[in-house]
Amino acid sequence: MEETIQDPFVLRRYVVLATKNLRRRPVRTGLTVAGVALAVTVAVSLGGFMLGYRGAIDKSIKMLGYQVMIMAKGCPYEAATMMLKGGTGLLYLPGDTYQQVKSDPDIENITPIFVGVVEKQASSIRDEGAASNFTIISGIDVPSFLVMKPWLGFKQGPGYANGRWFTPGSKDEVVLGFEAAEYEQRKVGDSFYASITPAGKPNPVMYQFTVVGVLERTGTQDDGTVFLPIDATREYFNRPNQLTILGIKLKEFSSFKMREFETRWLKLPEVQVVGLQQVKNTLVNLVATAQTMIAAVAAIAVIVALIGVINTILMSVYERTAEIGIMKALGARRGSIFQLIWLETLMVCFVGALVGSAMAVIGAGLVETAIKGLADLGVSGSIVQITPALVGYTVLVAVVLGFFAGLYPAWCAASMRPVEAIGKGG
Amino acid sequence: MPDTIIEAHGLKRYYYRGSETVKALDGVDLSIRTGEIVSILGPSGSGKTTLINLLSCLDAPTEGTLMMAGQSVAGLSEDELVEVRRGVLGFVFQQFSLLPTLTVSENVELPLMFLRRRTDARRTAEVLRMVGLSDRASHLPRELSGGQMQRVAIARALIVDPKILVADEPTGNLDKATGESIIALFKHLAADKGLAILITTHNPVFGYETDRAITLEDGRIVKEENLRKER
Repeated sequence: MEETIQDPFVLRRYVVLATKNLRRRPVRTGLTVAGVALAVTVAVSLGGFMLGYRGAIDKSIKMLGYQVMIMAKGCPYEAATMMLKGGTGLLYLPGDTYQQVKSDPDIENITPIFVGVVEKQASSIRDEGAASNFTIISGIDVPSFLVMKPWLGFKQGPGYANGRWFTPGSKDEVVLGFEAAEYEQRKVGDSFYASITPAGKPNPVMYQFTVVGVLERTGTQDDGTVFLPIDATREYFNRPNQLTILGIKLKEFSSFKMREFETRWLKLPEVQVVGLQQVKNTLVNLVATAQTMIAAVAAIAVIVALIGVINTILMSVYERTAEIGIMKALGARRGSIFQLIWLETLMVCFVGALVGSAMAVIGAGLVETAIKGLADLGVSGSIVQITPALVGYTVLVAVVLGFFAGLYPAWCAASMRPVEAIGKGG
Repeated sequence: MPDTIIEAHGLKRYYYRGSETVKALDGVDLSIRTGEIVSILGPSGSGKTTLINLLSCLDAPTEGTLMMAGQSVAGLSEDELVEVRRGVLGFVFQQFSLLPTLTVSENVELPLMFLRRRTDARRTAEVLRMVGLSDRASHLPRELSGGQMQRVAIARALIVDPKILVADEPTGNLDKATGESIIALFKHLAADKGLAILITTHNPVFGYETDRAITLEDGRIVKEENLRKER
């Protein structure tokens, strides 16, 4: 009988043999895979954070509706945070700034915003701690604000029907963002109480407002905001001629136009012009150091894991010295032994990468909660975004690193002389 | 008249340890024919294993000529020796050397993977039947006795249809009855398949069961007995 039919699927048999070899020492193999998995979890989580954070910034900027913000001079980080999430370190622009800037020929739309911090009264049962009793109020000019954010709509359903913006001249109506309403457990027609300390006055004054609308979820800072008419807000804060922000949309938004616009309006005293790219850079810089440190930790974890892989496979090779000699005697070429040991290394790295990626996906929520708990990054929405491409890329990198990690053990095994290797087993 | 399949002249294997030269094999002339079973006897350190390593192309001689199945192997590199081994030689070792995670049939088929040959269940069953282990194909080595493991090793050697079977102390780890059954199997394979079989053994009882017994001492052949005629 002829037995010389070539097997085109011989690689599959090498994979089966490599798998069985790895299963001979399940604890050792498991620990090595766990080391790789841990390193990959850190790497994928970090990648997800980098990706998600930039995505969150981009989304937040896009959902602002305006590309440029004019505000009082101050800390650039505070400015960036203010732009995207609101803030408490409030500085105010002179009231005539709006009149001066709105005549600029490059402006397509402009909206004035007055931001203030109020103390909630008779709030929901969820409030536990003094810090949570404060909320940010945005005083807005509804027509120009809606030109910037045409997607804003009112939540529907029982208790939310007939949501609307303020009636002209109203002073006691509020519109709540989606999360603000959920947090306060308020619906349309409910009351909302807040204490405001007017500028120059020692004591706060309590006001009762009526909720006239609850906005649909937007995934931006608007979800957590309480909106009031701008004139009423300025009056309550005793700052009738002041503003916090001018949100601006230019007719043509380019670096050149932005520089021109900035140059024109930086001549005003106490004013800073902040563009979205600047905001983005500021926020990215805010976490860049932390990201670099985490990346360094991830790199160290990857190096340690690779050393663990090399060590495990080398131990396995030396334990199987006689066996490798026998395989050579049975007809295995150097390349066959190299391929077998190399496959074992690649499989450890591949499985470790899959497990690590799964752990990163499962733990993404925890990572997000932990990061948000540690620092206010100035953006709303999800900041850890683990995509299939990220997972695929990380698995590929792990396998490529395994490719290199496997070279030395595979070379050691392939270089064994059969007569000596068999003798060592004896 | 059977063909000569192994022919060695003036075979030497020296090892150098500093200034000392160890003459493991010091001028051996030998020829082995198809279908012949030859035993190599001798005390420890006599050069048995060195000789069998050379005759099985696992090692290269320091001096001398060696023809395997009509091909000269003297001076070949390790990679070239692999090519000579593949498909010509089958090996059986004293310690069985089965892979513990593979079943009996997977162990038997292992050499085919290295030769990139497709496995054939009928062929595997055939060699297992030859060694009397048809009912153990799916067992793991740890589920077998020593004699059964050695039979698996013989089946693994046979799967590639070798011309020469080299067995280094194949009965060394077996009891007398099992050892006799292995020798009987070798005789059957030599007669039935025309295999040339080369055996090293410490045990003269098994050695004298073969066609020819060669006794080594200090790396030289000191006695060569043709036993086929005597039996």
